Amino acid sequence: MAAAIMAYPDLRHPFQKKSLNSASSATVLYAGKVFELKQALTDNALWVTPEDLTLINGFELKPEGACFESLCIPLKDDSGLLKQEDGRQWFNLTSFATLLEQPCVIDLENKVWSFGEVPAKRQGMISDAMAPDFELVDRQGKVIRMSDYKGKKALIITWSSW
Amino acid sequence: MPVWQRIYEELQAELGDSNFVIISAAQDTGGEAVVGPIFDAANTTYIQIVDVDHTISTVFNFLNVPSAAWVDESGKIVRIDEGTYAKIHPFGGNDVYAPALIDWVRNGENSEFVQSTATVTKNIRVQSADELKAEAAFRLGNFFRAYGYADKAEEYWTQARTLSPDSVNYIRQNLTLSEEGSAGETFRGLMTSYIEGGKHYYRPLDLAEK
Repeated sequence: MAAAIMAYPDLRHPFQKKSLNSASSATVLYAGKVFELKQALTDNALWVTPEDLTLINGFELKPEGACFESLCIPLKDDSGLLKQEDGRQWFNLTSFATLLEQPCVIDLENKVWSFGEVPAKRQGMISDAMAPDFELVDRQGKVIRMSDYKGKKALIITWSSW
Repeated sequence: MPVWQRIYEELQAELGDSNFVIISAAQDTGGEAVVGPIFDAANTTYIQIVDVDHTISTVFNFLNVPSAAWVDESGKIVRIDEGTYAKIHPFGGNDVYAPALIDWVRNGENSEFVQSTATVTKNIRVQSADELKAEAAFRLGNFFRAYGYADKAEEYWTQARTLSPDSVNYIRQNLTLSEEGSAGETFRGLMTSYIEGGKHYYRPLDLAEK
C-alpha cells in the first residue's frame, strides 16, 4: 500500500487560530456557504429576518406561506414560525428546519448553526435520478453549478489526497 | 488523474469542446495547499474544484472517494456511485470503467453502459436521518477547522463519524488530524472490519471485465 502517497496529515498545515466574527449576532452554515447575520434573535431558537431567510435557503415569505420554487409551506398564525419584536418581523429558522426534517447541529458557545440539506430538495434525485444542483467555486474562481451544464454530458468525480 | 486528463483531451479532439465536461472535486479539508499541486502535476484542463466541505459527496450521497456520476444532457443521472479508479490502483480499480465512459460520451443514450432511471435510483444511497445530520456536523467541524479551533473541529468531525459510520470520507478526513494519518493503523483496521463484515468498501462496478 502506497501509504506515503495516500496519507496527508493535516498536521502538515498547522492550525492558525483566528477570532470568530464577534460583530455578528449569529453564524449560519448552509449549502457550503457561511452567513454572518448582523441581526438575529437567539433564545432556544434562531430567529432571522425574512430577508436573511431568503438569502440563506431561498425560501420567500408569501401570502400562501414560505415558498421555494413550487414548494410552499403554509404558515398558520399558531405555527410559532413568525413573531413581531423590536418593531419588525422575525422568522423561526430552527423550527422551520424541524418542520422540513432538515437537520441542524448547533454550537451555542460560538452561536453557529449548521444546517444540512432540506430532504424535499433532494427528492428529484431520489425519485427521478435528476442530478442535484450545487454551487461551488473552481480553482480559477469561476462559479460552477450543475445546472450550467445542461446540454452537455458531465462526469462528476471525487477524489482526495488522504 | 492523468488518465482522466488523457481521456478528456482525446474526447475533446474527437468531438469538439462543447460536448463533454469533467467536474473533478477534491474532497479535502486540506484545501488548495494540499490538492492544488496534485491537480497541477496532472496538467488538468477540465473543471477543478477544491471542495473542502465535501459538498459533491453530500449532494450525490457518496460515502467514499473516488466516486462518480454520469449526467446526461438533460440533467439526468445515467450511472452513479461506483468506485471509479480509472485504472488498477492499490485500493481497487479496473480496466473497464474508463472505456465504458468513453463509449457513453461517444454514443450517448445508445451506449450499452447507460443505466435506466430505475437502476440509477436503486443505486443512489438512501440516507438515514442520522446520516443527513452528519453532513451538518461535518460542515460545522470544517468551519471551526478553518478558524483554527482544533478541539471543536475534532468534536464535530467525531460526531459526523458517529452519526454516519459507513462514511469513509468522514473517517479518513478525521484521521488526517491524527499523527498516524489517514492510511495508518486505524484505517487498516477499518478496512479489515469492512471485509469481515461483508460490506463493500466500494460498491462493485456493474460492468463485466472484457
